[in-house]
Amino acid sequence: MSELLRHSLNGTPPRPRPNPISQYDPEESHPPSDSSSSPTDSVASINTIRPSSREQAAQPTHWTNYFTQDLYLDWRDDTQTAKYHVYLTPPQDPKKGPLFICHHGAGASGLSFALFAKHIKRLLPEAGILSLEARAHGSIVTPAPNANDTTPADFSIKTLASDALNMIRLTQSHLSWPSIPPAILIGHSLGGAIVTELAATAALGSSLVGYCVLDVVEGSALEALAHMKTYLSTRPTHFSSLDDAVNWHTRSRTIRSPESAQISVPSLLRPVPAPTEAGASTSQQFTWHTDLASTAPWWEDWFQGMSRKFLSGRGAKMLILAGTDRLDKDLMIGQMQGKFQLVVLPEAGHFIQEDVPERTAELVVEFWRRNDRSALVLPPKVSELIAQGKKV
Amino acid sequence: MSDLDKAIAQLRACRPIPENQVRELCYKARELLIEEGNVVTVDAPVTICGDIHGQFHDLMELFRVGGDVPDTNYLFMGDFVDRGFYSLESFLLLLCLKVRYPDRITLIRGNHESRQITMVYGFYDECLRKYGSANVWRYCCEVFDHLALGALVIGATTDLAPSDAPFSDPASQSTLPSEELEIEILNSAGQILNRFTRATPNSSQDLSQLSQNPSSPSQAPSRTGAPGTGAASSTNNSTNTGAVLCVHGGLSPLIDKIDKIRLLDRKQEVPHDGAMCDLLWSDPDDIDGWGLSPRGAGFLFGADIVKCFNHRNDLSLICRAHQLVMEGFKEMFDSTIVTVWSAPNYCYRCGNVAAILELGEDGSNAGYAARSNGDANRSRGGPLAEQRRELHMGPGRRYRVFDAAPQDSRGMPAKKPVADYFL
Repeated sequence: MSELLRHSLNGTPPRPRPNPISQYDPEESHPPSDSSSSPTDSVASINTIRPSSREQAAQPTHWTNYFTQDLYLDWRDDTQTAKYHVYLTPPQDPKKGPLFICHHGAGASGLSFALFAKHIKRLLPEAGILSLEARAHGSIVTPAPNANDTTPADFSIKTLASDALNMIRLTQSHLSWPSIPPAILIGHSLGGAIVTELAATAALGSSLVGYCVLDVVEGSALEALAHMKTYLSTRPTHFSSLDDAVNWHTRSRTIRSPESAQISVPSLLRPVPAPTEAGASTSQQFTWHTDLASTAPWWEDWFQGMSRKFLSGRGAKMLILAGTDRLDKDLMIGQMQGKFQLVVLPEAGHFIQEDVPERTAELVVEFWRRNDRSALVLPPKVSELIAQGKKV
Repeated sequence: MSDLDKAIAQLRACRPIPENQVRELCYKARELLIEEGNVVTVDAPVTICGDIHGQFHDLMELFRVGGDVPDTNYLFMGDFVDRGFYSLESFLLLLCLKVRYPDRITLIRGNHESRQITMVYGFYDECLRKYGSANVWRYCCEVFDHLALGALVIGATTDLAPSDAPFSDPASQSTLPSEELEIEILNSAGQILNRFTRATPNSSQDLSQLSQNPSSPSQAPSRTGAPGTGAASSTNNSTNTGAVLCVHGGLSPLIDKIDKIRLLDRKQEVPHDGAMCDLLWSDPDDIDGWGLSPRGAGFLFGADIVKCFNHRNDLSLICRAHQLVMEGFKEMFDSTIVTVWSAPNYCYRCGNVAAILELGEDGSNAGYAARSNGDANRSRGGPLAEQRRELHMGPGRRYRVFDAAPQDSRGMPAKKPVADYFL
């Protein structure tokens, strides 16, 4: 167990250990990812906890290589019960932070930030990373028993933002942090809209140092809406194996880095029984964990007004775009008035943090260093110089 | 007709010139620019322009409104390229004019005159598209490295000779001032939109909203005598106007004297930090002292910094570009700094107007102008007046505001394909 891991375990309640992988031949160079590495199955895996001395090394793609813990956080209110799922590497000092709070896009998972998290830790060992999972992704939200059964699932931006805030607050209380550490919010795509909502409503108060949105702009997102359903209908509904799914993601250039795809793609899928031909033995195939088409009624709601909210929030702002600069009017004016930092990465595709995790981590760490209030030293004000009796 | 004149004619028609001509042009331009200091001295009269960003047709409109080169003396404060569709033609035309009329046009560097930025914001792609190779982009980038970092305008007059143009709104005709004119705002047809006379020393006027608020009360004259005559000036013969510093972005905490700008080694790519970076990236803001720039480069600086810098360097005004201003120009901090923006309807979608700033020549005598230290306002001004007297009187400023030229769609790239996945 690494020093870091041991450190992070101090004072935290017992929790499920990563599932040992023993079903595969260790000689096999690239064993197919076990479905048990899917975070959603970890609940069921509690029964398979073994003493750590007997644990085998996890696969290189297993989440434990990137985060020190994952938490299942229970939440209950009048209308819903939730079992939120987050990945966490706590900051060394919760008072100093920084805590990078990441939110994935629609249809992705918390492991979308796995490699990014690894690079963050390398660049800034004291940093913490919290990767949230939205409802119907890694988190499970069910209506309260007394709630009206006919209430449709709610994927509005406000609800998703309040889920995110719940997860952050529950993590805070779970780790007994006196307050949320100085934090940078990072959101990819839909996640970008969610962190923008959190920033615009000042949900994290003074803990929020800055926020960073990855590859989503209101104008172009709304324009692309029309094509989204076509896109969804053209992607495969089932994969025969997880490897097959990883291959599809890299081949279609949805995720351009094979390493990233190996890590994140298995978490996007769940096993289902394959239709068996007569005489054939029962087999498994994989389908999408999240039914994106069912979230369609909320798509406009996710992005509408996002540019204004992005500009109005308090805290430092950074927008990282993949490919080309394609700002809408509001952001173009904001950028040319110097209201936020814009970075365009021509080499990356939409999944910036997976395609170029190292570069993304460098940018975010630099963003933090620049805005770290505890380290900030600005040149003196003229009034201070005069007060000191200096000639100005 | 010389080759250069032919190239100018071709570029004016928005047609790129051949690659070998670009190479020659860039070579000549570098020879010329390398002789310039980091801070070029420019004599008034001069017309100061802000960002262009490859909006060629709007640059033509600018020349129509402001007069042609060499009849008008121009100073462009950088950001010639990127975002617009004709960065190449715009920059090469300006460069041709610079080589043809070196004393009638001054080009200084903006933050977009950089390899890293042009790789991302369009100029590189445009060169590649129009020439099939990156050579032209490379030649241009070498020129960028030689552009001056700032300019110092000297000999600008404090009192604007009122233009005899008609008012765009005849109702305002009656406000023709008898006192000294400080600011005049004209539309692209040369009609007067508004006029402001010089404020008394102790009644500071917020000019930031000026272009939106045309009904500002006229101010009492600060001194006696007819404007524009020697009699108007007091007997003090110090250079009252002060110089005007032009720079793309703004100030740097590492630069307290203009001489320090002169000491920089500018012939390099724009660095990520340091004085050279700050001059091209910083923005004024309503803060006290210095602040972090949300842009991720440069600083924010407040009124105290500007006033202190102007005083220390005998400046009456800092003129800069870099920030989009919907009204074309924006004066801040009691008119000690002004932002001039010359790209109308920026990026073909922002809906803003553009402006250029004309500074007149001090006709009375080189550098001979009034200093308002007469006794007239002493009783009213008190300590404030005492303090303000130390400051230079701003130059008379004539802004010409103009809209985007009717857009010629030739050469516009096809609409970018929409992202197929964005959730």
